[in-house]
Amino acid sequence: MNGLAFVAPLLLVMIGAFNAPILYMLALGFWSKAGGFTTAHYAAVFEASVYLKVLASTLRISLIATVANVLLGYPLAYWMSGLRPTGQLVAVALVITPFWISILVRTYAWIVVLGNAGLVNSSLLALGVITEPIRFLYNELGVTIGMANVLLPFLVLPLFAAMVRIDGRLLQAAASLGATPATIFWKVFFPLTVPALGAGALLVFILSLGFYITPAILGGNRVSMISNLLDKLINEIPRWEQASVISTLLLIVTLVIFALYRRLDRSAA
Amino acid sequence: MKRRDFGKLASIGLAGFVWSPAVGSAQVKEIRMIEAGGKSGESIEEGYIKPFTARTGIRCVRESPGSLGKLRAMVESGKITAALFELGSGSLSQAIPLGLVEPLDWAAINPQPMFPEARTDHGLGYQYFSTVMAWRKGVKAPRSWADFFNTRDFPGKRTVPEYPHYCLQFALLADGVSPDKLFPLDADRALRKLGEIKKDIAVLWKAGAQPPQLLKDNEVQYAISWSGRVVGEPAIEMTFNQGMYDLSYFSVPKGVSKDEKDAAMKLLHEMTIAKNQARAAQVVSYTGPSPDLEALLPREKFSEFPTVKQNKSVQWQQNAEWWRVNGESVNKKWEQFRLNL
Repeated sequence: MNGLAFVAPLLLVMIGAFNAPILYMLALGFWSKAGGFTTAHYAAVFEASVYLKVLASTLRISLIATVANVLLGYPLAYWMSGLRPTGQLVAVALVITPFWISILVRTYAWIVVLGNAGLVNSSLLALGVITEPIRFLYNELGVTIGMANVLLPFLVLPLFAAMVRIDGRLLQAAASLGATPATIFWKVFFPLTVPALGAGALLVFILSLGFYITPAILGGNRVSMISNLLDKLINEIPRWEQASVISTLLLIVTLVIFALYRRLDRSAA
Repeated sequence: MKRRDFGKLASIGLAGFVWSPAVGSAQVKEIRMIEAGGKSGESIEEGYIKPFTARTGIRCVRESPGSLGKLRAMVESGKITAALFELGSGSLSQAIPLGLVEPLDWAAINPQPMFPEARTDHGLGYQYFSTVMAWRKGVKAPRSWADFFNTRDFPGKRTVPEYPHYCLQFALLADGVSPDKLFPLDADRALRKLGEIKKDIAVLWKAGAQPPQLLKDNEVQYAISWSGRVVGEPAIEMTFNQGMYDLSYFSVPKGVSKDEKDAAMKLLHEMTIAKNQARAAQVVSYTGPSPDLEALLPREKFSEFPTVKQNKSVQWQQNAEWWRVNGESVNKKWEQFRLNL
């Protein structure tokens, strides 16, 4: 009872400021203008297959960004875990630093680096490696680079934490039994990091689903993602009911992915 | 302080807080407005709020940005935090049937002469802006939208708005439709035309600051842009020819108190005075709704303004009402188009 009294204010804030609006948002999708229950908004969204295609495009881009993150993040975390303590400290600090820089600044910085007249292209042109600028930006490549940059810490930090916790004696035992370094990595080290890798990748994937600024700026709005569509349906047209339906679908997809992950995780254990 | 005293004090404070609007109702000291922000907001401060405060003693606090979603949330929650709300022509025509705005009291506004399209039941068109073609100095200059869409003879990357209602009309003009036949708009035909140059559309922009920046950085060579963002830029050329003029309106959110609305009408009156509009136009190159404004604008910057006769006569007007009815269905086609880029 006493405990509840202490928690109550926070609970009320959570329910009032977070849960109730979400329930209201979910309910809006079933609300007709006359004030009764309707499935018309859902029917309208499913009829216009384009909105579902935007959802599919969002899932695809998020998957690409997640794979890019894993390919970059795993080797980085592995390298970091092998450093001496001071080196690890510096590396962790470098990985975390971008968190203190606004996402807008970081996104625009990529334009300075990767633009037609940016650092990379002007260097390559001056060196004679290329004859015309490579188009890094305003396509899926630009979006993937930008998202990987923003999301990398979310993958690297849990992965690094898991890797430094691995008992070194396990690896020594495997070596003493005659395993090659490759075998030790794939049979012993890698399986031990899979839960953290899965959790980190899932976190990155779910965060990717809601990206708005990066596709708008680095994708030049040529890359369709769901947040941009929601912004339009809420602020420009306004069809809040349809926005509610699409948000609900996005929530369901996210929960299904999460449930799949949980199941995989449990079967792995 | 003992706890009970604090409670007593708090309840007095609370009572004061609750009652203060009623006490102050005889005389509004301050109203709030939500506007688009940036230079445009500064021009409102300079041109209209200063003379309004000087005349009435009422302050006006500006907030930005606004969106139709924000207005809807404000009205539906019943917490009206602004007496004036800036809306684009499209948003205004959406807001009226949704019941989000009050009719204006034109007798109280007592306007000076203004262009007829700027005086509507629910909104005062206070600022003209144009959507025009612009290009980087040094590239081959297009003279028509047909040129703009001709990427063979006018090679270079394009940027166009990620707003179908600021974009599709130009594709139709390029395809040979005359300005007076644009509406009802054939969205499929427009998107087909736009699809012809999709390889050369580098960026679909959302923020008005993007096209001038992309032109300056040489990311694109041709742009559809809002006029005020590109006029007077040394590295950029533009033309009002075949451009589209449009209006931004000020409206009153439904449910605002009578006293605040009365004060707001006085501020709207200031927006109809040509002298004030000339002062606002010095801050940003958009113009107010007075036909008498032309005589007050600086001669050397004449060609920058959307509504001087030489510019207004070569342009055509946006059709917000058509977009209100058809915006949602066009948007679906637009999203489909973007998926295939």
